[in-house]
Amino acid sequence: MKADGATVILILGGLFILGAKVGAAPSRSPDPHPLWSLAPLVKRAVPPGEGHPLDAFIRIKLQQKSLKPSAAAAPSALIRRLSYGLTGLPPTPEEVALFAANPSATNYEAHIERWLASPRYGEHWGRHWLDVANYADTHGNDHDYARPQAWPYRDYVIRSLNEDKPYARFVQEQVAGDVLFPENPQATVALGFVAAGPWDHTLMVTVREDTVDHRMAQYLDRDNMVSTVIGTFQSLTIHCARCHDHKFDPISQREYYSLQAVFAGVDRANRPFDSDSQVHMKRQRLLGEQRSLQQRSPLLLAQLASPETRRKVAEWESLQSQREAAWSMLRIESAVSTGGATLTRQPDGSWFASGKRPERDTYILSARHSGGLVRVLRLQVLPDERLPQQGPGRWDNGNLHLTELKAFASIPHSGEGAKPITFGRALSDFDEGAAISVTQAIDGKDETQWGIHPRYGQPHEAVFEIKDPTVFPEGTVLTVLLEHQGKTPGHGVGRFRLSVSDQQPSATLLPPLAGEVRGILALPTAQRSSQQELELALFVLTQENQASLAALPAAQQVYAITRDFPPDGLNFKPAVHPRPVHVLARGELSKPGALVDPGALSCISQLSSTLPVPDGADESARRAALAGWLVDDRNVLTWRSIVNRVWSWHFGRGLCDTPNDFGKMGGAPSHPELLDWLALWFRDEAKGSLKALHRLILTSETWRQSTLADQGTSIDADNRLLWRQNRVRLSAEQVRDTLLDLAGQLDLTLGGPAAIQFISKGDATFMSGGNPAFLDYEHFDPDANASRRRAIYRFLFRTVPDPLMDALDCPDGSTATPVRGSSSTAQQAFALLNDPFLIRQSQHIATRLGTKTSLPDLQAREAFQLILLRTPNDQESARFSGYIRQHGLANACQLLLNSNEFLFLD
Amino acid sequence: MATHQTRRDFLGTFGGGLSGIALGSLLQRDASAATPPPRLPKAKRIIQLFMNGGASQCDLFDYKPELIKRHGQKFDPGSGARVEASVSVPGALMKSPFDWAQHGQCGRWVSSALPHLARHVDDMAFLMAMQSKSNVHGPAAYLQTSGFSLPGFPCAGAWVSYALGSLSENVPAFVALPDARGLPYNGRSAFTSGFLPANHQGTIIQASAAQPMTHMRAPVEAAHITTQSRQEGLEVLRELNAMHAETRPGDSRLTARMQSYELAARLQLSAPELLDLTGETEATKQLYGLDLPATSDFGKRCLLARRMIERGVRFVQVWSGHGGGSDNWDNHGDIPRELGSAARSMDQPAAALLMDLKARGLLEDTLLVWTTEFGRMPFSQGSVGRDHNGGTFVSWLAGAGINPGVSVGQSDEWSWKAATDIVTTYDFHATLLHLLGIQHEALSFRHSGIDRRLTDVHGHVINEILS
Repeated sequence: MKADGATVILILGGLFILGAKVGAAPSRSPDPHPLWSLAPLVKRAVPPGEGHPLDAFIRIKLQQKSLKPSAAAAPSALIRRLSYGLTGLPPTPEEVALFAANPSATNYEAHIERWLASPRYGEHWGRHWLDVANYADTHGNDHDYARPQAWPYRDYVIRSLNEDKPYARFVQEQVAGDVLFPENPQATVALGFVAAGPWDHTLMVTVREDTVDHRMAQYLDRDNMVSTVIGTFQSLTIHCARCHDHKFDPISQREYYSLQAVFAGVDRANRPFDSDSQVHMKRQRLLGEQRSLQQRSPLLLAQLASPETRRKVAEWESLQSQREAAWSMLRIESAVSTGGATLTRQPDGSWFASGKRPERDTYILSARHSGGLVRVLRLQVLPDERLPQQGPGRWDNGNLHLTELKAFASIPHSGEGAKPITFGRALSDFDEGAAISVTQAIDGKDETQWGIHPRYGQPHEAVFEIKDPTVFPEGTVLTVLLEHQGKTPGHGVGRFRLSVSDQQPSATLLPPLAGEVRGILALPTAQRSSQQELELALFVLTQENQASLAALPAAQQVYAITRDFPPDGLNFKPAVHPRPVHVLARGELSKPGALVDPGALSCISQLSSTLPVPDGADESARRAALAGWLVDDRNVLTWRSIVNRVWSWHFGRGLCDTPNDFGKMGGAPSHPELLDWLALWFRDEAKGSLKALHRLILTSETWRQSTLADQGTSIDADNRLLWRQNRVRLSAEQVRDTLLDLAGQLDLTLGGPAAIQFISKGDATFMSGGNPAFLDYEHFDPDANASRRRAIYRFLFRTVPDPLMDALDCPDGSTATPVRGSSSTAQQAFALLNDPFLIRQSQHIATRLGTKTSLPDLQAREAFQLILLRTPNDQESARFSGYIRQHGLANACQLLLNSNEFLFLD
Repeated sequence: MATHQTRRDFLGTFGGGLSGIALGSLLQRDASAATPPPRLPKAKRIIQLFMNGGASQCDLFDYKPELIKRHGQKFDPGSGARVEASVSVPGALMKSPFDWAQHGQCGRWVSSALPHLARHVDDMAFLMAMQSKSNVHGPAAYLQTSGFSLPGFPCAGAWVSYALGSLSENVPAFVALPDARGLPYNGRSAFTSGFLPANHQGTIIQASAAQPMTHMRAPVEAAHITTQSRQEGLEVLRELNAMHAETRPGDSRLTARMQSYELAARLQLSAPELLDLTGETEATKQLYGLDLPATSDFGKRCLLARRMIERGVRFVQVWSGHGGGSDNWDNHGDIPRELGSAARSMDQPAAALLMDLKARGLLEDTLLVWTTEFGRMPFSQGSVGRDHNGGTFVSWLAGAGINPGVSVGQSDEWSWKAATDIVTTYDFHATLLHLLGIQHEALSFRHSGIDRRLTDVHGHVINEILS
């Protein structure tokens, strides 16, 4: 996709789009101080000399300052650093001893290979990536509801890194994997990236769609998507251009909104995927068909007159009448509302409730049965002009809450009273939610109910299967109770009809027919207008589409960007077409400026900002075009950004020390030539292999240097020139994983749903969207299975993070974290001294060591060996054995876990 | 960014007095700004009372005869202005169910929902026309705590901690006292240090919990941990760390971590005394309403707030109400019942705090602030509730540097939108910083390409309320 100023043909996942308009980038006056990060990547010669190319670049700068590289780190320090650096876990004391005995280059490289091949590698480096993606398992913001389907994306990241997926592919998948690689379900899962950040549930779902707040929230939602994509892949602070042109970097406000337009067709929601590629593709095809049905796409409308469609409609109509014939309507003779509503019989045999709308109500309905087998009872709730929002319920919004449906049979002359009829199961065409489904209408509880929010103004129906189907004699009186006795007032049924059948429920449950379709069906075929035929055909095809989707095996779900999701209430629903995006002066909705087309940035020389997206193309074409733009060889930012990130994670600091900001307010690179050399090497030689990049960096002498500071402190105290290695503190995850590892408790299961490591109290569980105010981490069992998983699998609660992890600078998921903090706070000291999890692991370590020896001297030695990976000196030995005698081994182990030597990597 | 943070980390590692060094340079940075801060700061510390959920201005302080006159009528503000509510269909205009009367020399109208605070209006300055950018709890609460409607930004207490540190080495600079029933909207993010160094985040004290501060003590089940094992252990640890640091010169983080254990030990020693109310007189406890179920929780936390500032805490935040659907100021369903109950729980303790601070001379250099994230609509939701209204709301300030008895700004005739002398969150925060002697434009931190401020790119000090 490297064409400027011409018409091109794009091949997007097998989809041919003709006539894409590609224009030249808008011209800009040249910047007198161009940004280093935007300059073309020029192939640079490695400075002369023997040895590793990275060392050559580093040393030439050191020489200029009369500095020398430091000596190699001691083998024990080096192997500890390497193990943590690749796997996030410490080496075993045996591994340290063996390496110390043979610290040869071959042996060192063998360790690199072994740890790169370990699944632990993806778990450790996946966490780095999730810091940038700003991943968590809740939405954040005021109610901070759970996102129970976020984890497949987390697993995708781990898997991609372990498979050493080429970086360009990794980038493409996370922006447009669904359209570029439709055959690969995991490429759809990758879209969790754009959705990983916080999302305001209240603004998007609860707040009315027509408010300024809600519409602004859509802009801010895309702002987060754009910032995540551009911050991660381009290392630019794009969000600075939301209210005005970027004050420091060459990014116009218009370009910013053009990037928003790329994501104007998607929202964040659960997105189905299938592990089986065939099923996955079939589902995607059916979802596409569903979309064209909903949108009434011209292509689809043209097909409606085809003989095949006509045949389908005819078949459906005949089946429909057969099914309808299986029902016989109950002729209700007595209808009473205990709450005082007026129930009136309608000409079509249905009943209408009017007059008083009581807080609670029960309709008692009696009918005489003509005799025969009864297997199922059907309740149809019907729309009516006279009801709020046309019903079918009586509440202001048209909803109803059926708390219970009960039925009784009185057999004439039996001498017995009315006998209750028990229902085995209930099915409906639509449920408000899993906890507000028709099953709740036969559970015997007044607190639960069936509701139909937000599908108002439509008919719905529920069928109730009788547990022991009975042959009733003629004249049997069936009494049905429709109860509305729950907490919500005024939610009675507005209009309804009751029927019974002797058939199986699966053969009789009909799709709900809108009044319009019913009207068309009532007309003889010859009298139907072409518009009516079209409506009927659309309806039948929609039924068929829904049935085909329902027949697929259950899909897995990933929280991702998508345009196919069921509406959540009245305010949060998919965009039929990409939403219009305006330039907003000062970022305010009240000042909408020009409408913008999707586009990218013009600041990269040789790369046009125009995205080849044809008019009227599907939203996915926009993302596919952006993905192509991001991984274009000429996009210098992409390649500079990733090599700098990897460098930063290996050295604790990037060559540019602001990995998410390559702009003028960010840091200038310490070694621009090296950064460029690495970027080109990674792109062209390594073909985007991150493992190859790790090998290159880890085998350099620069990386293997000691952390000890001697010579350079006066010239380069900050070690920008890398005359030594930086001393990096263990991350929160490394500490936690190490505790479990040393305690022999670590569960190395790969992947799966997030491990919940807290007790959730409150008026509802946090999963179903209650009040999450009480999360108790301190009393959660440290020995529970969930506690023993690696830290990357923890359930990450944005607004209430784990206090132990928080104290060790684990990001809370509020913003992207390209560089972790390394604080030394009193809270951290308290956490390492008093956290129940850490104390328990100290006890486990002590138990483990205690089985080896009961002598305090030897215990001290063993504890040092295991935790600090060295033997104690005489003074330490004496001090610790004395302490163990007084206060036990567990206390001593905890002290070592609190030590700087444990927490920092030499 | 890195050098900035390193310097700050060094200066402010402990959230203690050390970081005050930075203040001088902050003040000198921009001498040309419109309102120079006072030579000597008027306020040394702040207690902020935060009404979580959106306290209804038109049922507490914003008296509108028009609302009484037109009670039950359809709301039509005229001039084609659009009336929208956050989560409901706008109902008819609704007068307050509470009675109104003028109070004090200043004649401030206060409703009968706040009989105790009404007696002290002559000590308060009212911001009668504050306006929020959002009608929704999450963003509006973020805005009012951090100056930004998105997550990730440091809240005011963290900025103050960053700029000034605490007044004593034995207490944290910024303490948050959440409602006993739970955390406010946005959870712990309501007290976050955002991108500022982690030591500036609010220390959360659960006043009524068995363990008020997370990690302050080892769990009781850990019987092997005793006072002695700890004392000796910390000494052994100090020695081990000292030997380690000795062979690794030039790394301030190693010594900073050693010092953090010393600070923790001091905090641990000071905490029990801080939280122990047995030394308070019965009269004081009654004043704060500790003897009444309705007021005991908020009263206890107000009393603790006083004890904290006495011991050097710089910024104390006391929350009224939690983040759930009830037991807070988010009174969608029933203003008489829900607001009445929220007001009862807050009114007497807040008044007590004001009186107590005044009686002890603390109000001279302590700023007491009462605020919320937004107000409520002049029309009804359902039968007698009110929906969110970012258009106008009320806050008041008392104490250090405040001109008592004044009111700034007015809402329109319905209390629907702020009309004159509108005060934004930025102005509000700029004024808090000003009273602490900080120029709000000068207090900044480089993050993600921008020098971020508590006041974003806005903010004017509200001179009208300054003494």
